[in-house]
Amino acid sequence: MTPLDYLLLLSLLTVVIALVAGHRSMGGVWLTFTYAAQLGGLMLMAGLTNQPDVITSSLSFTILGQSLTWRYDALSWYFALITISAGLLSTMYTAGDWGEKFRADGGNLWLLHVAIALNVLSMLILLGSGDLLTLFIGWELVSWASFLLMILAGGPSIQAAIRYITYAMGGAMAILAGLALIYGHTDSFTYPAAANILHSLSTAHLWAPLLLLTLGFGVKMALLPLHLWQAAAYAHTPGPGAAFLGAISSRMGLYALIVVLIQLVGLVRVIELPVLFSFISARDVLAWVAAFTIIFPTFTALRQNDARMLLAWHGIGQGGYMLLGLVMGDALGSAGGLMHVFNHATYQAALFFSVAAVVYRTGTADLNRLGGLVARMPLSFLAMLVGIIGLAGLPPMNGFVSKWLVYRSLMLEGEPLLFVAAVVGTLGTILSVYKLIHNMFLGQLRVEHENIREAPWSMTAPMLILSVVVFVTGLMPGLVLQWIAGIQATVGLPVIDYSLGGLDSAQGSLDMLWVVGVLFAGFGIGAGLFYSGGRTHRVHQLDNYAGGHFLSADIRYHYSDNFYPGLMRLIGPLYRYSFAWLESAVQSGLGLLSLSTQGFYRRVAPANYALVTAVLVLLWVML
Amino acid sequence: MDALHILIELTLMPLVAFVVGLFMVLMMRRIAARIQRRVGPPLLQPLYDILKLYGKQTQISHGILHDIGIIMAVGVYIAAETMLPVPGMNGIADKAGLITLAYVLMVPSLGLALGVGQCANPNGSIGISRALTAMLAYDIPFVIVIFGVAWQAGGNNLVDIIALQQVDGIASWGIVQTPLLAFAGLFALHAILGKHPFEIYIAPAEIATGPMVEMGGKYLGGLFVMQCFQLYTAGVIYTSLFLGGGENWLTFLVKSFAVVAVPICIAYLFPRFRTEDVVRLVWKWPVMLGLIGIAFVKN
Repeated sequence: MTPLDYLLLLSLLTVVIALVAGHRSMGGVWLTFTYAAQLGGLMLMAGLTNQPDVITSSLSFTILGQSLTWRYDALSWYFALITISAGLLSTMYTAGDWGEKFRADGGNLWLLHVAIALNVLSMLILLGSGDLLTLFIGWELVSWASFLLMILAGGPSIQAAIRYITYAMGGAMAILAGLALIYGHTDSFTYPAAANILHSLSTAHLWAPLLLLTLGFGVKMALLPLHLWQAAAYAHTPGPGAAFLGAISSRMGLYALIVVLIQLVGLVRVIELPVLFSFISARDVLAWVAAFTIIFPTFTALRQNDARMLLAWHGIGQGGYMLLGLVMGDALGSAGGLMHVFNHATYQAALFFSVAAVVYRTGTADLNRLGGLVARMPLSFLAMLVGIIGLAGLPPMNGFVSKWLVYRSLMLEGEPLLFVAAVVGTLGTILSVYKLIHNMFLGQLRVEHENIREAPWSMTAPMLILSVVVFVTGLMPGLVLQWIAGIQATVGLPVIDYSLGGLDSAQGSLDMLWVVGVLFAGFGIGAGLFYSGGRTHRVHQLDNYAGGHFLSADIRYHYSDNFYPGLMRLIGPLYRYSFAWLESAVQSGLGLLSLSTQGFYRRVAPANYALVTAVLVLLWVML
Repeated sequence: MDALHILIELTLMPLVAFVVGLFMVLMMRRIAARIQRRVGPPLLQPLYDILKLYGKQTQISHGILHDIGIIMAVGVYIAAETMLPVPGMNGIADKAGLITLAYVLMVPSLGLALGVGQCANPNGSIGISRALTAMLAYDIPFVIVIFGVAWQAGGNNLVDIIALQQVDGIASWGIVQTPLLAFAGLFALHAILGKHPFEIYIAPAEIATGPMVEMGGKYLGGLFVMQCFQLYTAGVIYTSLFLGGGENWLTFLVKSFAVVAVPICIAYLFPRFRTEDVVRLVWKWPVMLGLIGIAFVKN
């Protein structure tokens, strides 16, 4: 038995406990402990991050002469850490009052526990894949597990989940075709054999498997233009489930892309690989896909009026930063991209938790029906504040560091347009997250929310834990960068020269210890200045300037709808829903194809078609 | 560098910034006065204003976040000043760099936005909505300029960027080496300062001074202090990027004041643009010039 066996068995045990005890009131608590045990099991393998080593599982099969193996390296370990932590905190959140209310409102708590446990297990299996076949098996398991999680709430989530599974099936077909192409060349599914053959393939031949695999895995990453399923599917998943999905689920696509692009094909090859009949390379294509994945979903998020949809759209956009950093291929960029996986998981989960807490208390996530909640739910506000600073990528939170690494990389590589695209995404995020926090927590408190209280501890604790992580890894990015350096050494990328505070480099360093220290010293002086001024007295929110009128509780004195009218007057006409149009075009195209195929063999004179086919076959046989 | 030395620098740099900023505010008000054929305020008027605001008896708070917003806005500027090298003092400039500085400078806007949000006045929120839209507008040419300068210098360390410009006198200044970037930078700078014609987010007659609508006493005083820092920061960043920084304090101050004077002299000649016109204008000319400027950067 290796540590990996223990981990997988523990994860299996979690599923079993969820199946058996998921409906009991203490079930969530037991599950929380089993996730903690999984985390402990993972920590037994922490040595993976220090040296390029592999821990294999005793579990292996041989099917049709192909041996299926599972093993963990630094990359798997890092993603598994995020997966298990997301599962742990989501279950902790579900375990208390949230779960009770979910059940009381008619939700299936048992299924939610089972779905999260299955998701964790299938992701751990995927992350352990030791060859292309196990990669595909793990991939399918993950797809179906997330489908279960997405669909269990019923209602609008059903349509979203079916849309997801349609995309996922399409992606899986592409992956299968890509694997078949590789298998056709090698007669083997092992990584080294695949890497060998991919290295020796000519440019034209490499494109087909590369494109198929990138498209297939890109579906899960929600890369443009395959992103339409994600926001609705995540947003309609019940609170902690959405946090779990938003934190890690779509990063499985990134994991698989790393395996394909970096470990199998090799990033050097991707950088050199020219697009036929043009002067750009495959790397440029990927980088621009990533850049558009940053920009478009971010500005779609800006238009959302539902907090969960807004966050889910940002989740798509942030995925773009990860891919963008990664395909830059240098030490800084790839470190930034990889680090952003962790950072995004932490703040995104905190944000979803905070929104779920508001939904728990108020019953709505509609940004036009909330406001002023900071006075009633200060801890949820704090978690959201930390989360949005992280999401927007501003100092001192961790999101800043990973984005900084990506910016630096783009700067060193001399990519001004990609750099501007990345910054545009960040600025759009700042606008959007301010709208989020303003419409929910700031402004006027509505009369009907006058008496609500802070969410219970079982809900605030996970989000505060995450907020602390977001801040601490922003203060000391070296904590995460040591894992990143391990990954870079394992997958064959240049290794980042990190320090505890960030980066030491002749071309511009970053020491977050100093930056954050100075920031807080500045806060201290600012506070000193402020409190040395005259005594303040607190006034009621209605004691406000209203152009000479008097305000009363029945007057809605809150600015929420169409929050950026000036900007929308300019860029509003650019929202043409082209991707939705493209999707429906593909949809109706496929519908037409299937109808005509049906007509071909079923409705219109089948005998004639049989005759034609027979003649053609005969001709083919004779010639 | 020993701890005491750096502590002294970290204390002195914001202090200097504040004092210089006060005089920049004075200059701004005097220029406005001269353009309008008035005499303008006396030498210490900015200081008197701040003391008056901090000492007022009526100090209205709309909640803890209202206070924290002001603290954040002032505090982050204080912190940012230690990342801006001045003659003889580098502070933590080599530990932060240009990108970090640009992002740190977005935090005061966020702090202010949070404080204004807590005030529960739609005029304030509309002001913030406009200010953030303007930020989306001017930060794009600003980062293009930063990219161009950092690429030219081969790194984003502000100390190195200044040192490179001082190698060869005026001929090595950024404004001579990369004039298009310098012009785009000046344009962005004007928008960053939020003076006419870019002050739709204040628009007193329309949204009752926007973010400032519920600010009085030390809250307004804090914003006044923030303005001092803002003028200083803008002037010094531009000086460091394009005018060779400061060889000594005299040239440093002359350059910084001159940089701030340019947009202010233009500002009071204009009415204000609508928000979408600000965005359209800033996304067109400075962005275009900046990108052309990057194409000419020698690296």
